[in-house]
Amino acid sequence: MYGGGNIFEPTKLEELNAEDPIKLAAFEARILQGEKIEPNDWMPQMYRKQLIRMIEQHAHSEIIGALPEGTWITRAPGFRRKMAQMAKVQDEVGHGQLLYSAAETLGKTREEMINDLINGKSKYSNIFNYPAFTWADSAIISWLVDAGAIVNQMANAKGSYGPYSRALDRICAEESFHLKYGHDSVVHLATGSPKQRQMVQEAITRWWPPLMHFFGPSDKISAHTEILMRWKVKMASNDDMRQQFLDMYVPKIWELGMVLPDPLLCKNEETGKWDYTEPDWEEFKRVINGDGPCNKERLAVRKMAEENGAWVRRALQKPEAKYVTPLA
Amino acid sequence: MSHLVSLDPRISRLGIPAEIDLNSDKTLSDQLSTFEVFHQKKEGAVYQHVGPVHANTPDLAFLFAKEQYSRRFTCTGIWVVPTSSISVTPNAEPGVNIYSILNFDHKFEEGTPVLFTVFHQKKRGAHHECMGEVTAASSDEALYHASLKYGESGPVVNVWIIPSEKITKSSAEDVEFWNTLSEKKYRDASVWRVMDKITKFKEEQKSGN
Repeated sequence: MYGGGNIFEPTKLEELNAEDPIKLAAFEARILQGEKIEPNDWMPQMYRKQLIRMIEQHAHSEIIGALPEGTWITRAPGFRRKMAQMAKVQDEVGHGQLLYSAAETLGKTREEMINDLINGKSKYSNIFNYPAFTWADSAIISWLVDAGAIVNQMANAKGSYGPYSRALDRICAEESFHLKYGHDSVVHLATGSPKQRQMVQEAITRWWPPLMHFFGPSDKISAHTEILMRWKVKMASNDDMRQQFLDMYVPKIWELGMVLPDPLLCKNEETGKWDYTEPDWEEFKRVINGDGPCNKERLAVRKMAEENGAWVRRALQKPEAKYVTPLA
Repeated sequence: MSHLVSLDPRISRLGIPAEIDLNSDKTLSDQLSTFEVFHQKKEGAVYQHVGPVHANTPDLAFLFAKEQYSRRFTCTGIWVVPTSSISVTPNAEPGVNIYSILNFDHKFEEGTPVLFTVFHQKKRGAHHECMGEVTAASSDEALYHASLKYGESGPVVNVWIIPSEKITKSSAEDVEFWNTLSEKKYRDASVWRVMDKITKFKEEQKSGN
């Protein structure tokens, strides 16, 4: 699972002036032909910087995203769901490892990335700053947050950077289990007793605003990313991905007789697109900048895990071992 | 000092201070070295690169590789290699065979001939695949022999040359590690079927139950 809506740095086009124009032209031609860029190819600094930022955020999201669901392993209803929940959380952490490795091939070490996560410099998907109150919240995360992640990851797998695409192919294959498992958990509750139905309805109501935030600010207000789209770093606009998600999942939520907390939400027959109430982007910014219900807890838990595990890594250290950047 | 209170009682019990110091850096001293992992999808298939792991010894790398790359998808074998022992060629432009632009005019280092394993990346974006072994006194010379032996085998963008003795390989009996995967059906997408429940639910709604 993973949050979309990457927070790209504003691209400063003047930075490109410092690049070798011939190499830059060859680089762009390669991407235009649909060829992948591999780690030891020449690439503009801006491409490298933005990719590290994006893949690193993705990796952090996998690690932090395991926390709200991990909470529910001990209280999952029934052995089969407990085993599945555990497998899912383990998958997410594994995805984090795959992604850290893909980012490392660009020159930032895993240590530096983990450091920037726990000192608050790097971001992770905003949606994980919200709490999972009940088992139904966990089921909604497994189904709809993963669904959003799949929309995003399927697009990004077609991106231009070889190691990231390869990692995403692997990740997408595992995500299909998460989605089906999550859907099953939600359907089980939604077709159950009135109390169970109420639990799902409350969870949907709680998660809808963060889900609408999930793909990032509206194209009208988000930073210009034309060059990142041309370089196939960003594969679709935030609004396009949001539309795709709504198209695929709103009908599936409605068929369970659930209500989405947005009176304006409907498919516009003329435009073929979904109309909705503009999400509260001020809240989105506030939570990203640290003022969400769980930001503090997520980072505190991650920091503690890191500190508590330090002695193990120290014990494993070998003075002669030298770190080298992974190859691909 | 007050403690962090969470919805998860296990986290509340940890007694983490409510105010964490976000500005402190972690000690950047525990970065382990990296290994590249290769797997064999099924008996008889060629070994293929799947990605790296961080570990201090080949044994630990093997353990991590098994978790990371064969936890969900079965395979019949795994190799791990220290990244630092792999020699890498530049990447060829599309349509160009990398061997055709390498220069083999110089004299190779002398020494005792040993085995080297050759990996090819056939196109950008693809995984590196094992071609076989050559005998040489240096990785440079091994690359030259690889060009003679495998250079005509089709498109090659990039070549890895690995001293074969640096490869830690799973053994025949390790295959049993991967025989347990079929017992873990609960993590297969195909076992979570919801259509019957949804159809039944819709019918009940229609009939007003």
